[in-house]
Amino acid sequence: MASTQTTSKKDDKAAETKPDQQQQAAAEPKPAALEEDDEFEDFPVDDWQTEETEAASGDGTTQHLWEESWDDDDTSDDFSAQLKEELKKVEASRKR
Amino acid sequence: MEFGGPFFKEFAAAWSEKDGYRLSRTLYPDLPTEKLRKIWRSQNEHDIKGALRRGLQNSGAALEGLVNNETQGWIEVYIAYWKAVGDILAARESSSDNSKSSQVVWDKACDAWRDLLIVLIRGYQNHGFEAWTIPCLYVVGRHLRLFSIKADDERSINNSFDDNTATNFQDDVDPETGKHEKLEECARVLNRMFMLCATDRAPIEESRKWGIYYIVNLLLKTYFKLNSVSLSKNVLRMLAAGQQDMPAFSAFPKSQQVTFKYHEGVLYFWEENYVEAEKHLTHAWNLCHKDAIRNKELILTYLIPCHLITTHTLPTEKLLEPYPRLQKLFLPLCRCIKKGELHLFDLALQEGEEEFVRRRIYLTLERGRDIALRNLLRKVFIARGFEDAKEGEKPVRRSRVPIAEFAAAISLGSQEKVDNDEVECHLANMIYKVSQASVTFSRSRFGSIAISPFPQ
Repeated sequence: MASTQTTSKKDDKAAETKPDQQQQAAAEPKPAALEEDDEFEDFPVDDWQTEETEAASGDGTTQHLWEESWDDDDTSDDFSAQLKEELKKVEASRKR
Repeated sequence: MEFGGPFFKEFAAAWSEKDGYRLSRTLYPDLPTEKLRKIWRSQNEHDIKGALRRGLQNSGAALEGLVNNETQGWIEVYIAYWKAVGDILAARESSSDNSKSSQVVWDKACDAWRDLLIVLIRGYQNHGFEAWTIPCLYVVGRHLRLFSIKADDERSINNSFDDNTATNFQDDVDPETGKHEKLEECARVLNRMFMLCATDRAPIEESRKWGIYYIVNLLLKTYFKLNSVSLSKNVLRMLAAGQQDMPAFSAFPKSQQVTFKYHEGVLYFWEENYVEAEKHLTHAWNLCHKDAIRNKELILTYLIPCHLITTHTLPTEKLLEPYPRLQKLFLPLCRCIKKGELHLFDLALQEGEEEFVRRRIYLTLERGRDIALRNLLRKVFIARGFEDAKEGEKPVRRSRVPIAEFAAAISLGSQEKVDNDEVECHLANMIYKVSQASVTFSRSRFGSIAISPFPQ
């Protein structure tokens, strides 16, 4: 009895979600058609001066492009606070 | 330009200056319809050969060193061009006529344009066309690719139209077969063009080898569109084999260098050779014209995941600032990696999955999870603070971290319980993958990690 109930529930659910899925399927091809070409574009000019290159427009190094270190020492954000709380709880439970 | 007096003057002028780009403009197909019509109407099938012969011979180009055999070659080129113009004109007219919309109109124009390229190639093989004229190959080759894509697109739209009206039950027919029929034919002719330049034995200053990177780029773009990594690699191999007789790479125009380095870098990227990939992509980045935003965006699409794998560092906000699309693509992931938010990382990866897969960067980015995990574990280590310092000594970090704390951190976001064995497994993997310094890890009630467990 219980099992028939759950299956009927499942069916209801399936019936409910179906129109949504169909809508999604109908909407999907659209972005694909509008999708921008991934191709590397032809440059409007054949050649250019060194001053006009990306390397020259920065400070000549690639230093500013990347963060210097992978260490995140900023502990003021929500996640760090949450983590600290969690670790305290662990410590407290061990001491008990 | 219609085949009359001004055309022959222009031909002679290009000839006297040995200006290949000027000459190549006499072979442009993307002119206003009105101009194409003028060209088409300026001659007819019966008279064109004689008219061209008289015109070219009297144009003054002969005085500039145009010999008979060459003239014959150019006559054939312009006849092929004239025929193609007729087909392009017909295609344009019928595609603007809506009543025939389901008809395939570009197929024929594409074939005629391919014939032109074949005639042109033959000019170099049989009629002694000189190397300064290679911009003609660029123009005709580039447009062949465009016409081929157009013809393939048109056919696939018509096919999908047919599929809708008549239900097709033939499951065993692969819909992909023939989808790129014209582009594949185009690739074969472009490959002949490549060989034509690569095998030129003339001294370097008058060699067709100067055309090689333009053509290789055209070929690589075509193979990329056809999704053929192996054919692309073949081209690179052939190019590398002939390297010692080639002019220096830096002597080629920057547009060609950047385009080539981009494709080379992406190929290495797809092979998961991130060190090589980064080298080439960085080269492309540095030489790229600063205003070519879209191309810079494409370079970074691969350079950023590359850099993440090779150096574990993330792009700065300043780098991403001019590129809203890249921000959308990478910023959520980068934030999670930096903070060590594992669960949100998984969600962000899922969120962008379709886009990542399409650009073939999903698997690379997935490896960023290790870095997120490493950063999370480091936070646990930092959070333990310092040992009680003895007087006069520097404080020492508490290096003994209970496994349970790592476990709590890992399950923090997802709230899924992980058991200690799994955590130990993660730790062992991390030590293996990340840490190059000597680190000890003993299995006990505590995970015990020596000093400096998070090397740079």
